[in-house]
Amino acid sequence: MRRVAITGLGVVSPFGFGAKAFFDGLISGVTAVRPIASFDASRFPVQHAGEVPQARINRAWLGRALGMDAEDSNLQRWEAGGWLRDRKLSWALLAAREAWVQAGCSEAEGEAALSLALGLEQALLEDFAPIYREGKIQWGEEPKAPLPTVRFRTPVDLGARAVRSLLGLCGRTQVHVSACAAGALAVAHGASLIRRGDSDVVLAGAADAMINPLGLGGMIRLGATSPRNAPDACRPFDRRRDGLALGEGAALFVLEAEDRALARGAKVLGFVKGWGSTQDGFRVTAPRPDGSQAAAAIRRALASAGIAPEALGYVNAHGTGTPLNDPAEARALQVALGPWGGQVPVSSIKGAVGHLMAASGALELAAGMMPFLHGSIPGTVHFTDSDPECPLNVMGPDCHQSDVEHVLSNSFGFGGQNAAVILGAP
Amino acid sequence: MKAALTGWAWRTPLGPDPEAVLERLLAGETAAAHHRHLAGAPFEVALGGAITAPPAPSKHQRFLRRMGLYALDCGKEAFLKAGIKGGPRVGVFLGYGGLRAHWNDMMPALEHQQEDGQDAWDRGFRLFHPFWMLQHLSNNAQALLAMELGARGEGITCGGANAGAQALGAAQRALSEGTLDAALVVAHDTLLEPETLVELGSRAQGAIRGESFMAPYGGGGSGFLPGEAAVALVLERPAGCAGRALGFLHAADGADGSREEPGQSVLAAVVERALDGVDCDVVDGAARGWMELDGIERRTLASILGEGTPLTATQAAFGQLGAAAAPAQALALVLAMRRGVLPPIASLSRIELGPLRPLTKAEPSNARCALVVSTGAPGLVGAVRVEVA
Repeated sequence: MRRVAITGLGVVSPFGFGAKAFFDGLISGVTAVRPIASFDASRFPVQHAGEVPQARINRAWLGRALGMDAEDSNLQRWEAGGWLRDRKLSWALLAAREAWVQAGCSEAEGEAALSLALGLEQALLEDFAPIYREGKIQWGEEPKAPLPTVRFRTPVDLGARAVRSLLGLCGRTQVHVSACAAGALAVAHGASLIRRGDSDVVLAGAADAMINPLGLGGMIRLGATSPRNAPDACRPFDRRRDGLALGEGAALFVLEAEDRALARGAKVLGFVKGWGSTQDGFRVTAPRPDGSQAAAAIRRALASAGIAPEALGYVNAHGTGTPLNDPAEARALQVALGPWGGQVPVSSIKGAVGHLMAASGALELAAGMMPFLHGSIPGTVHFTDSDPECPLNVMGPDCHQSDVEHVLSNSFGFGGQNAAVILGAP
Repeated sequence: MKAALTGWAWRTPLGPDPEAVLERLLAGETAAAHHRHLAGAPFEVALGGAITAPPAPSKHQRFLRRMGLYALDCGKEAFLKAGIKGGPRVGVFLGYGGLRAHWNDMMPALEHQQEDGQDAWDRGFRLFHPFWMLQHLSNNAQALLAMELGARGEGITCGGANAGAQALGAAQRALSEGTLDAALVVAHDTLLEPETLVELGSRAQGAIRGESFMAPYGGGGSGFLPGEAAVALVLERPAGCAGRALGFLHAADGADGSREEPGQSVLAAVVERALDGVDCDVVDGAARGWMELDGIERRTLASILGEGTPLTATQAAFGQLGAAAAPAQALALVLAMRRGVLPPIASLSRIELGPLRPLTKAEPSNARCALVVSTGAPGLVGAVRVEVA
């Protein structure tokens, strides 16, 4: 069975651009949740989020960030077509470029598969204004002002198109849209392609950007966000937890068959050792309280990795900081890991960066690389008061030095999708 | 490893009953008509293939709209037909072209908004239904099917114009890896939403504009008929399905960089993966309806399958089905082969000269293996090899 090596990592996070900024932020133990700057949120009940520190995106800025000429035909096409209005597209491009360059990939990897999770399509409200009259959208009327080619809503796979275009990829593409578990599933799917021999190289990961009036408004009305309009809005596993904070960003991995990576002299950063996925089949609105199906996903991941629970040195939890998720996850870990479930170090980075929705699983897998790359486990920012309903060994806000061989990362999505991925040290 | 097809259902512009739809395909009927459910809307793209019967009433109408409800109907029907039970080794794989924001729900929030977005919350976002976000989750149909059917195993929701082929491929992999014993694959898409029709009408090689419909592969080159469908297929490992399998499938998918339509090399690569060394007797083509695209497709397929291979195009009858194309075409061809008759290309009277043999009439055939091909923007390909059981 082929081993799945990680040879490249690219990150865009609320801490900034690049994996270094991400890891520096996690190591510092501070939060990147701060007042929203990309639109006027001053009248929204929630005004804080884990926003990537770039309020406006245009061709010139993206060109500089990607190291491209601003007159590049791709950039021109994306801007003219209205693509750049969807922030997650830029995050996907930047993370993809970073991972690709770090892995030393070139045209030789042009047939790499792409396994990308993307968040909800963004309805572009400004497109409606020219044709919105008398309380209705006048669909058939050609507006006076010319509109971009991407009108009214962005296609579900727009980010994948852009990444393929940027890197010249022509292999298979899978676009995952399974809500909050999508990022982890995208990486697991990519690893599966390599293990089975269907692909030698896969660019896998996720991008999402819901910090906009629709996304923020919808989450506020759902009651998922913390009602406290403050940087410490999200308190994973803390007794005082009361909701999540939104985040945005992207994380992409170059996954490669180990023998191929070694043959071309690529540096192996880690391995994707195993994965498991299940469906709660309970409710769209809430996870299964007993955590049984989440536990099943974790057990499948352990079996896939061929390791016992005690081989795990760290668990990067889904840890949303909502009243329902955290205790359900705690139960899942105890059921799946047995006594070790209450002892293995656990942390969630959502207090630091927010909940990146479809991208959360991928960014948290990137955080799971921190022990391999920096010898330390990220802490749980804003966790100070443990909850008896979550009897886990939750790490406090500071990062912890640790020598870890295997990391488990959990992602549990709306609708009851459960994903567990296990990483291994290089 | 190919997968056995043991359950099936669909909602198509030619109807919901598989055998009745087959009769209409064999009769050369097309679903092309004015968009009845968008009556009065003056689109440049005037014709489409629409599903006419409404979806069954459902308690899940809070979380699913029209196409999602059709997907739910199909999924349950196909599952029942397969005669299997849910459990930890049964999974749901969903492919869809893309969610539509439900503008009616949003009107209260949009009505008083300003173009610059100032004061958006006070101007209407505070009026959103509390479940508005949940109603727009990408994976609602997958989640609800898993609930209804007790399917607790792995699964995914994937998106894009070839998402049905993506979902078929992912389900096949799970079956071959042994993580599942059965997979329900559901795909749905509609190209008849207002914003899609606006976009198709403005695209260079998009949908037919105006009133006249010309069949693909006829040299007229005026575009494709937009359509819609929901399809559900139950797949199992072939061993143990004796007597229950309608046929066998092997799916592949791919993408050609940033091109709007896939080029020859990517199309060929995906087709070769679907065939996996097996010869096919007939091909159901992508039917894009533009001379250049049809020509590329015919030359590519002929180089692999042979110049004289019969060519049909069920999407000339249904309309282009987007994410639902690959599963719908697969089901149509396996039904046709079992009947021993290949369907003609609807409305095709004059054939553009070139490789492959486009069918203008229903043709008796001993075909046992078909290749179905679908493409969609941008540069996406789905291909399925279908064999009769």
